[in-house]
Amino acid sequence: MPAQSMAAPRGRVSVWPARRRRHTLLFCYLALAPVLALFAYIRAFPIAWSVILSFHRWDLIGASKPFVGFANYVRLAGDGNFWLAVKNTTIYSLATVIASTLLALPLAVFLSGKTRLAALYQTIYFLPVITPMVPMAIAWKWIYDYNYGILNYALSLARLPSVAWLTDEKVALWALIIMSVWKVLGYNLILFLVGIRNIPDVYLEAASLDGATPWQRFRRVTFPLLRPIVLYVLVTATINSYNVFTQVYVMTLGSQAAPGHAVRVLVFDIYQNAFQYFHMGYASAEAVILTLIVLGFTLVQFGLVRGEEA
Amino acid sequence: MPPGRTPLIRRPPLARRPARAATGARALHALAHAVLALGAVFMILPMLWMLSTSFKPPPEIPLWPPHLLPQAPTLANYTGIFEAAPFGRFFLNSAGLSLAATVSVVVTSLLAGAVFGKYRFPGRSALFMLIISTAIVPFESYMIPLYIQLIPIGWINTYQGIALPFLIMSFGIFLVRQHVASAIPSELLEAARVDGATEWWILARVIAPLSGTALAAVGIFGFIQMWGAFLWPLLVANTQLLFNMEVGLTAFQFRFSSDYGKLMAGSVISVIPMLIIFLILRRRIIESVALTGLKG
Amino acid sequence: MRTVRKGGPRIERRTFLKLAAGAGVAAAGGVGLAPARPAAGATTLAVWTGFPELVPFYKAVADAYGKTHAGVTVTVFSSSLREIEQKLSTAVPTGTGPDIYDIGTNISIKFIEGGLLDPNPPDVERTLTSGAWHASVVDFFGIGGKHYGLPLMEGSHASMFYNKAMFREAGIAKPPSTFPELTAAARKLVRFDASGKMTRSGISMRLSGQGSGIGEKFRFVLEPAGGSLVVRTPSGKWHNGYDNDAGRAALQFYVDAVQKDKIDDPKVPHDADAFAAGNTAMLFREAWVIGEIQQKNPKLEYGVAPIPRWKAGGPYKMLVQPWGIYVNGKSGNKRAAWEFLTFLTNRENAVRLTTMTGWVSERQDVDWKPLLKDIPQFAVFVSPPKDVVFYVEPIFSVFDEVESKLADRLVPAYVDPSLNNAPDKVAQRIREMAAETDEILKGAGLYGMT
Repeated sequence: MPAQSMAAPRGRVSVWPARRRRHTLLFCYLALAPVLALFAYIRAFPIAWSVILSFHRWDLIGASKPFVGFANYVRLAGDGNFWLAVKNTTIYSLATVIASTLLALPLAVFLSGKTRLAALYQTIYFLPVITPMVPMAIAWKWIYDYNYGILNYALSLARLPSVAWLTDEKVALWALIIMSVWKVLGYNLILFLVGIRNIPDVYLEAASLDGATPWQRFRRVTFPLLRPIVLYVLVTATINSYNVFTQVYVMTLGSQAAPGHAVRVLVFDIYQNAFQYFHMGYASAEAVILTLIVLGFTLVQFGLVRGEEA
Repeated sequence: MPPGRTPLIRRPPLARRPARAATGARALHALAHAVLALGAVFMILPMLWMLSTSFKPPPEIPLWPPHLLPQAPTLANYTGIFEAAPFGRFFLNSAGLSLAATVSVVVTSLLAGAVFGKYRFPGRSALFMLIISTAIVPFESYMIPLYIQLIPIGWINTYQGIALPFLIMSFGIFLVRQHVASAIPSELLEAARVDGATEWWILARVIAPLSGTALAAVGIFGFIQMWGAFLWPLLVANTQLLFNMEVGLTAFQFRFSSDYGKLMAGSVISVIPMLIIFLILRRRIIESVALTGLKG
Repeated sequence: MRTVRKGGPRIERRTFLKLAAGAGVAAAGGVGLAPARPAAGATTLAVWTGFPELVPFYKAVADAYGKTHAGVTVTVFSSSLREIEQKLSTAVPTGTGPDIYDIGTNISIKFIEGGLLDPNPPDVERTLTSGAWHASVVDFFGIGGKHYGLPLMEGSHASMFYNKAMFREAGIAKPPSTFPELTAAARKLVRFDASGKMTRSGISMRLSGQGSGIGEKFRFVLEPAGGSLVVRTPSGKWHNGYDNDAGRAALQFYVDAVQKDKIDDPKVPHDADAFAAGNTAMLFREAWVIGEIQQKNPKLEYGVAPIPRWKAGGPYKMLVQPWGIYVNGKSGNKRAAWEFLTFLTNRENAVRLTTMTGWVSERQDVDWKPLLKDIPQFAVFVSPPKDVVFYVEPIFSVFDEVESKLADRLVPAYVDPSLNNAPDKVAQRIREMAAETDEILKGAGLYGMT
């Protein structure tokens, strides 16, 4: 067979004979085919349809879907609920991402020094990450209860007045943020922990032999080497937090629930426009805008990473 | 960095430090301990509280001051939940759907991740970007078109219809691709090719085994994603026999009922299986998840 | 040198696993674990409802029906109302819906306009117009000269629940019959603890959360005050009906209740649970609360009176919201479904409905005396006072949106300190809300002043 009888040049595929190249190419497309087929069916087509829908009007039930051009987008620009959602989602995202990153970093540094209880701590901190969101949101609703929740009980022990975590419009979004930070902290912690572990000891040893304090060691050695991971965490956390929905959905159910406007986030607004008011085209337009916003954030953060690596 | 497991247990700390730094280090140690412990309490308290409330009879729930331990623990909430709805069936559905989704996500991520990571072909970057960028679009916004697509193939009110959107994960493809591109030396592949291996063989015998941890992470995320699904299954299932646990929970949050005992019991039942899996596979899970950050 | 290749069983194994899993899932969906197919010749009717508490009722009726109609099986699917509305709206137009469903007019009007509901067949028409239901109820189900669906139950007739023991303790002899009396009574009934936190509200109003329910409860005050959310013009268009004294007075009532008179507070437990548990002295709600009380606190001493009038001599107002049950226009079992529905809404099952669920049938030929002997609190619901003025749920597609968006604005307004003792600010707020209502109507092409 040609592939074997030839001398074996180490190097690029392009040096190989055409038959080998064809085999490789065929392999690529065949291996990708089932994945691409699935992807096309469950992502590409519905998303494309949804984008097309954003230029039409449709109430889901009727058959008429008139083309309305950019009318939905124009209406969005003047929609108070939409801008409120943008504002709320941005606050939520910034707060959640910053808090969960800033808290995870020192915790990771602390945890990197412990030997005995390390495994236990890792487990406990990671537990919230793998719990499903719906039951935990329900549990947190109970924790936030104004009259019987343990959070207000803890406050009362410290002689502080009770807070209407969910029903007070000024606090509701922060209640959501706290719960979300609780949920993702462990994931960031593990990532940072591994990053710290992978810093070769020689750097830190050298630093402390030079007389550096722990804080200086962190600032000069640890943190710079962690930058790629920190940026990775920031990007993924931003994307995820902009798409928050489940917690909001659960926390706004019922009569002691959070007021709709206080926790109005973008995906919830989209959901309401589509599934409660049956403005399908309008909701699709809103989803397009959301995607563009997140895309923008992502590109900015990627740009930062590239800048760092340069 | 060699592929494989990264030890998370640290080697013993250095000897020989200046005396002044030693007391400073001890204070820092104490502070670290305190902060970690406090944080751990914050992490685990909600779950403990959920558990505790689920065993409380109705009169004990609106108690002030609240007690962590129920004074008259009861199983009534659990029996009540199982009477109100076939949660056993919901659990089986969740398990079956999640397992199927996991297998599918792992296989598709391996196939696509390997190809994108180690091979060049026309359209590679464009396709990869397309797959990744669609991960940003919120699922809620294209649920309806997807539902309508299911109708002509008769998949409404079927298990496969419920599982469908969870069978691939862009993030999984991304993860495997990063791992394959950076952690698997091309020399290994070349060597195999020289020996006359087909690309399929390389995929199965070289790439796949070396991607163990990445695939494990992908599988875990795929499992969690399917387990936590609640909007889509509600839309697709026309009978409660197909419900998974999350849908069961939301559907039985009766509009006016804030019966937290039963709600917490339902939550516990939804969370326990994930917890058990996690505790069994703890080491594996944490380590493979940790690697996601390294390659990111 | 040629090496012997040990094939690639791994990849095949994985692919096989995936195929097997997929096949298994498909098989399970199609055969063993899927809902069983009915025997040949038998009919299965699928019923969807947004009221899980109705499920036992449907099942009981199905059992009774099965005795005389052996070939008919009935399956019932329920979830919360919001979710069923979404499911129906997605499933019915695409042909994947149930045979029978009960739903509110905000959805059914869309189905009618979209051709997804057929007018009633002649025999059902005869049943509907047989005198079992009052003419106004029958009219409610009429569009363009035809009738669609049958009345299953009255969705509202919301009235005032009051705690007799608390009234006695506070020295109040009778439940209030005007709103000023209500405020006065509530002030005597409200309780605070040592730190000033409200532990019992004088009256439990809907102050928090989101959704059209808040808007609906606002109407319980707005209507007696003389306003309405939307007003129909002679040409069939709509515009807001509360940018007036009545609207301002209603909002003022809420603001005063929360901020000035302090008879309710968003932080206190609310709604039926709270009333059953004794956290509030009064509550405006529907008949199903009776069922809740029976379950949660059967010893509660309570009465039900009509929602007070705005002032002495004014009319009592009561919301009429007939809740219909329909046969899906795309069902393959229409005949069987209609027959079942005719049975479901007969007189005997009307009593069964109320005793099992607390919801009250709309029929006017039911003998309620046995029920009233057991549970006298049903009196106001089954036979409202003669001088009551009914107001109806407007039937057009975006009404839910009107109520929901109003709710989004009402909730912050109730607790907004700048509205306390500031009638002109209240007026301005009402104007903004009414403008939004009109905008929604304009967007749907339903706005008109004549």
